Amino acid sequence: MNSQNTSSLSKICGEFKAAFLKDLRSYVRYPAWLLGEFISTPLWFFFFALGVTLFSPTNFTNSSVNSFDFFYFGFIFIILFSTAVWGIGQSIRNEQQAGTLEQFFLAPVNRATLIVGRWARVFLTDVLIIGYTTVIVYTLGNEQPVMHNPSLFLFSLGLYEIGLIGFGLFFAGLTMRIKSYNTLSNMVFFGYMILTGALFPIDVIPIPFRYISMAIPFTYFIDLMRNAALSTSTILPASTEYFMATILAFSMLLIGFVAFNKIESQARVKGTISAM
Amino acid sequence: MAAIFWKSIKHYTRIPGSFAIYLALPFLFTLLIFGMGRFVGGGNASAYFAARTGTTNILVYEMLGSAVWMTSWVVVEDVGVSLRNEQVTGTLEQNFLAPIDRATLLVGMSLADIVITTAIFLIAVGATVALTMPTDILGLFQAYLMLLIGLIPLFGICFLFAGIIIRFKEPYIFVQIVNVLFAVLTGTYYPVALLPFWIRFLSGLLPQTYVIEDMRQIILANQNLVSLYGNVFVLFALALVYPTIGYAIFKRIERKASVTGEFSKY
Repeated sequence: MNSQNTSSLSKICGEFKAAFLKDLRSYVRYPAWLLGEFISTPLWFFFFALGVTLFSPTNFTNSSVNSFDFFYFGFIFIILFSTAVWGIGQSIRNEQQAGTLEQFFLAPVNRATLIVGRWARVFLTDVLIIGYTTVIVYTLGNEQPVMHNPSLFLFSLGLYEIGLIGFGLFFAGLTMRIKSYNTLSNMVFFGYMILTGALFPIDVIPIPFRYISMAIPFTYFIDLMRNAALSTSTILPASTEYFMATILAFSMLLIGFVAFNKIESQARVKGTISAM
Repeated sequence: MAAIFWKSIKHYTRIPGSFAIYLALPFLFTLLIFGMGRFVGGGNASAYFAARTGTTNILVYEMLGSAVWMTSWVVVEDVGVSLRNEQVTGTLEQNFLAPIDRATLLVGMSLADIVITTAIFLIAVGATVALTMPTDILGLFQAYLMLLIGLIPLFGICFLFAGIIIRFKEPYIFVQIVNVLFAVLTGTYYPVALLPFWIRFLSGLLPQTYVIEDMRQIILANQNLVSLYGNVFVLFALALVYPTIGYAIFKRIERKASVTGEFSKY
């Protein structure tokens, strides 16, 4: 029994490694993508930062936290969120359009492992881009990066990523159902940026809409990461929020996994895996 | 030209979701900037904004920038990427073998974009101005004229992109960089005066910079096209220069591609 468990675990690890390496190889084959991401990411930050400058007092800070750090962390959360929406979901759509999705799914490997392998590659390149952008932005902004509690931040980041994988799996499933995927992903992305407190605290949002924010799990992951990094106050008492975020992260992973498998088996029966 | 125009319009009407996104994005970006601004400026955010821009009408100021940015987004994606899409689907070579002038092909696509950008302008800017400052609605016509003049040099820039994309075959990342560059350089959400001097020089080379600035002057500061004649003149000059250069470079790349067989390469 034990050797069976060990061999299935090593099989999953092997599949994960193969999926990760396949994705990494195809990524480095297109240096224009790498170059483009390295150019456009800091530009997006400056674009928003300049827009916000019009509303700011001369010292560009508020009483509790440096706005520069606040936005910069928001920017990181957005980059990581885009992994789930475009990195995982869109990749399935791309394979569908290129006509390789059905072949991909006929391979004798676990679908979720393939998708998690893809996520790992995108996460790695995201970290590189975030690191590079941090150096550029903080150097030009003449600021020092802040990190009050690195271990708590990593823990919160872990929860966020677990939630993101679940969300990405769910989204990847949707690509087999919804053909106007781009419209949906754009709406979800903007919904995330406006409602979850990524770029401004949710107490800026008027009260009926704030309830929507509080019903979105990502709001709490973001709140906890920012609390760990910048010592901002949390929406709920910190211990309650950590407990809740842990439950939410694993629930999202489970729901995403179940939903993806269910949609895939339905698509296989209906023959819609390769339908564009 | 009419056939190419209707083909492009049919493409749009077949995918209403993507058109809806173009209409929604100006509002969503404005909402984001406004939310971030409220956080940074607190209760005095509007006052800080007015001190830097000369207007308290944040919504119209930001929506004008958003709408012009979105129109350039549409044009860059359409003129730049559509030829690459034809290359991928294998129809580019057939299209170029058809006995029609390349200029007709490019201008036909551009005409369809005028219809789409007009719709974006009317819905995004028209609705915002009609709701927030109904007495100034007549200024919309002059602002729209500015947009139309500004589209001509923009098409010229996009002809150049179309050639580059046929050559280098990486449209999406190219479009992403160009769109964010346009957003930063043209003063979409801020006056270009905020930018460092050397960047302002680059801003001055882009037609959208003048369109955004003049639209704000017309709608928010009661100026008219006559009083803004300097910028209008610059736009007309750019409208001559960019399409000429863009088309010449496109033709050059096209000639080279027809020798090396680039048209049908995936």
